[in-house]
Amino acid sequence: MMVPTRPASQDMPSAGWLRPAFVGWLLSSGMLCPVPAADTAAVTTDPGQAVVKLFGAGIGNLDSYGTGILISPEGHMITVWNHLIHTGYLTAVTADGRRYQPDVTGTSAEHDLAVLKLQADPVDTFPYIDRTTAVRPPPGTQVRAFSNMFHVATGNEPVSVIHGIIAADVRLQAGFGRWQFPLKSPVLILDAITNNSGAAGGLVTDTAGRPVGMIGRELRHRDSGAWVNYAVPFETLNPVIDAILSGRTIESTQQTEKATPVSDRRLTADWGLTLLPDVLRETPAWIDQVVPGSVADRAGLRRGDLVVLINDQVVRSSRELRHHLGGLRSGLPVTMMVRRDDVLIPITIRVP
Amino acid sequence: MNARSGRHTPKTAADSPRRPNRRRPRSASGPAAVRGVLPLFAATLFAGTVFAGTVFAESLASGSPAAAAPAVSWRQREQARIDVLRRIAPTAVCVMPPDGQGGGSGVLVSADGFTVTNYHVVSGSGPFLKCGLNDGIVYDAVLVGTDPTGDLALIRLLGRTDFPAAVPGNSDAVQPGDEVLALGNPFLLAQDFSPTVTYGIVSGIHRYQYPAGTFLEYTDCIQIDAAINPGNSGGPLFDIQGRWIGINGRASFEQRGRVNVGAAYAISGRQVQLFLSHLKSGRVVDHGTAGFSLKTDASGRVLVAEVEESSEAARRSLRPGDEVEIFAGRALTSANDFKNILGIFPSGTRVSLVFVSAGRRVRTSIRLRPLHEFSAIAEPPRPPMSGLQILIPVEPPPQWVHLYEKREGFANYAFNRRHQQRLLEPLKSRLQKYDRRNATWTLTLEDAESRMTAELTVGQRGAGLTQESTPWFQNAADLQPDAEPPDFPGLLTAAIQWHRLFRGPEESWHDVVYIGTERQFETGQPVEILQTQHDAIRCRWLFPENNDSLPCAVDVDRGIGLDEARLLFEDWSVDSVIPVPGRIGVIMPETGTVRWLQVKAVELRP
Repeated sequence: MMVPTRPASQDMPSAGWLRPAFVGWLLSSGMLCPVPAADTAAVTTDPGQAVVKLFGAGIGNLDSYGTGILISPEGHMITVWNHLIHTGYLTAVTADGRRYQPDVTGTSAEHDLAVLKLQADPVDTFPYIDRTTAVRPPPGTQVRAFSNMFHVATGNEPVSVIHGIIAADVRLQAGFGRWQFPLKSPVLILDAITNNSGAAGGLVTDTAGRPVGMIGRELRHRDSGAWVNYAVPFETLNPVIDAILSGRTIESTQQTEKATPVSDRRLTADWGLTLLPDVLRETPAWIDQVVPGSVADRAGLRRGDLVVLINDQVVRSSRELRHHLGGLRSGLPVTMMVRRDDVLIPITIRVP
Repeated sequence: MNARSGRHTPKTAADSPRRPNRRRPRSASGPAAVRGVLPLFAATLFAGTVFAGTVFAESLASGSPAAAAPAVSWRQREQARIDVLRRIAPTAVCVMPPDGQGGGSGVLVSADGFTVTNYHVVSGSGPFLKCGLNDGIVYDAVLVGTDPTGDLALIRLLGRTDFPAAVPGNSDAVQPGDEVLALGNPFLLAQDFSPTVTYGIVSGIHRYQYPAGTFLEYTDCIQIDAAINPGNSGGPLFDIQGRWIGINGRASFEQRGRVNVGAAYAISGRQVQLFLSHLKSGRVVDHGTAGFSLKTDASGRVLVAEVEESSEAARRSLRPGDEVEIFAGRALTSANDFKNILGIFPSGTRVSLVFVSAGRRVRTSIRLRPLHEFSAIAEPPRPPMSGLQILIPVEPPPQWVHLYEKREGFANYAFNRRHQQRLLEPLKSRLQKYDRRNATWTLTLEDAESRMTAELTVGQRGAGLTQESTPWFQNAADLQPDAEPPDFPGLLTAAIQWHRLFRGPEESWHDVVYIGTERQFETGQPVEILQTQHDAIRCRWLFPENNDSLPCAVDVDRGIGLDEARLLFEDWSVDSVIPVPGRIGVIMPETGTVRWLQVKAVELRP
């Protein structure tokens, strides 16, 4: 990826060192003027006030914290659709230190987006960003990124803000785990290290505080180890958020990718399982070996278990089980029902 | 004078230092590698050269709330930044161990060479260091003081009295979004010691970073997104006007390897200033503990979790469940605030405390007691560096050997000894002419409010007060808390110590330590503190700054679980048989109010 230089032409004023504009942003947020009170339902002029800290459960080396953006005075919030929102005990902490449990309103795997709603009293109101005023500035524009990176902020502390410029507006070809990066429309590549641990779901604005996009998940190049710093523009997210909020189903813009079955090698290396050799047209999904200390072992799977259900779907054969397992997202919980000595045992595993 | 070693063997062996006037053009048009590692520096210099004198008007983004702010073109702003950098770059220091293996950064804070850096930069390097400035010269430096908990250290560059010093700014006024410049020596890139500059914004303020390893803790620090990499440690953080506001010391690296990820932390200038004079004492300076812990309840109130039974706070009636409103002059909004505020003060500081207990608001003060046991902050061995290491045995520079004195509990006792002498010598010479100061003194005192008189008698064996024909006596060899007159608690114990101080400093104490400079809590007066110890009784003698040799107050620590005996001395008169204050203030431990006693007469008895 090219690292852009700062444009020197005058016709791109927002690309300069726009201290005055930023000062204005501070004037509206900092010590010089009172911070907008939390109980005034207004579009916040301080973007950091609309960014919430998320705390849940981490899995393995996945983080137990993240970031969300408040998009309505009633407490609707968006974040990245990742393992965090499935942990079951997610807490959102607002910039002024209020704590809420969010409910998932809807998700779009394709856009890597989750819309949540804070379980708040009807009288509670929140500072929020007006996503209808979002802009999509060109590469070279200075931006600010607000996020709960490294959970530096706690309680009533505002999240961290860092500065950078939009480096490119391009389609991102990437994968995570066995999954392709789902978003097929362009994203904004940033020159600052915005996509740190816990930053996913954070807010990117221009220097005047207008919303630009949402910080995406952590993505790292498998070979070079380089991390990509990107945000999904509101222009892309807005129709999806609208659809989720109005209860419509999200229309797919792409062919659902057919999950490839998990290979024997992966099954052993990642899950710690081997199945009975697939010799019949429909070989029952008997577990032949469990690697001691593996994911499967820790979850309680044993040699001889017969997998009969996975996520409430009937497993008719070992081939079907392989297809199911190959289609699961890393970090998400999966429930298996196994038959052991004529007893059905439910077992929950985090997808490795 | 060979303080300027000029040729510094390790690290710079290939390069004899270049002069500043040769360096600048090279930075702007130098090899790609140099520009690659110093992109901002090179870019700004380049732009400065090309666009100097050309000012473009610039329209602001429409709808910006700052449209009314004076329009400044980005080139003007860039030029301003270049000018600032020229001004501040000479204050940045490249701090290296004597063998030149590795190193970090620092900042000159006074013309006589005092330089602040991180403890972890100098830890394990021994008492003498090598320091490079952007004049390309390597100076010898001596370790002065350390603060292992707060990761600060003070060293002194030697051989000049006109070092360029950074101008401090107000770190309390820093806001998220403010532009900042970080100077330092990341990856030890500059062979001529011109500092690397990185630009960023303040990402957060009042951040708390948990102790990493044993005790190192960053409290109330400034979070920045300027690139901070290994080697930047100890270097200065400046605001965009070039005022020094912090010491860059730590960064979030976590899973990204040990390189910048846009989250770094600077120790606030405020905290550095609070520790600076203490570090100048040559001590290993400790942080404090308040003797209680706090928690934030569900409704956001800050409540007391636990209180140590023997703490001063407990004696002021602080109990678990009480709500604490103000600590050290700052309102608390969370238990985290408390940790932040506590962390910026050296041990021994007296701080204000306001809390609500049983419906009653209590306004009081407490002294922070040492956080660590003495042995816990001893110097750790220097961690082995990765890679091949050539160990060069380094002898201390012979002309500076006298500047270091080893002693347990001190980073460099030579500095402490000098300060002790500075305070005690004038006192000694002043007292010399009063040859009967060892006698028993009898002071006639008058209560400033009630006009009642009392007689205070102090001698080597003890002190007595006769108040309305009620006698009180305190035995110097066996101090009893309940032997103090209830109207003037601590007066007799403190008077015994006062008599001891005047008898003659050398022979009277088991231990004497210079502490540093603080503000006296009740009066706000800047004072220098000398601590004396006799048996278990520890006194903090407060001398006014620019001192006239006589103390303005004393705090007597009578042991754990007991309130201090605290006296103020005003209007010393040196014309009587011994120097006596015009009035003595007894500070009431419960309320902090001062009860004044006028000294009407003094007499000596054999």
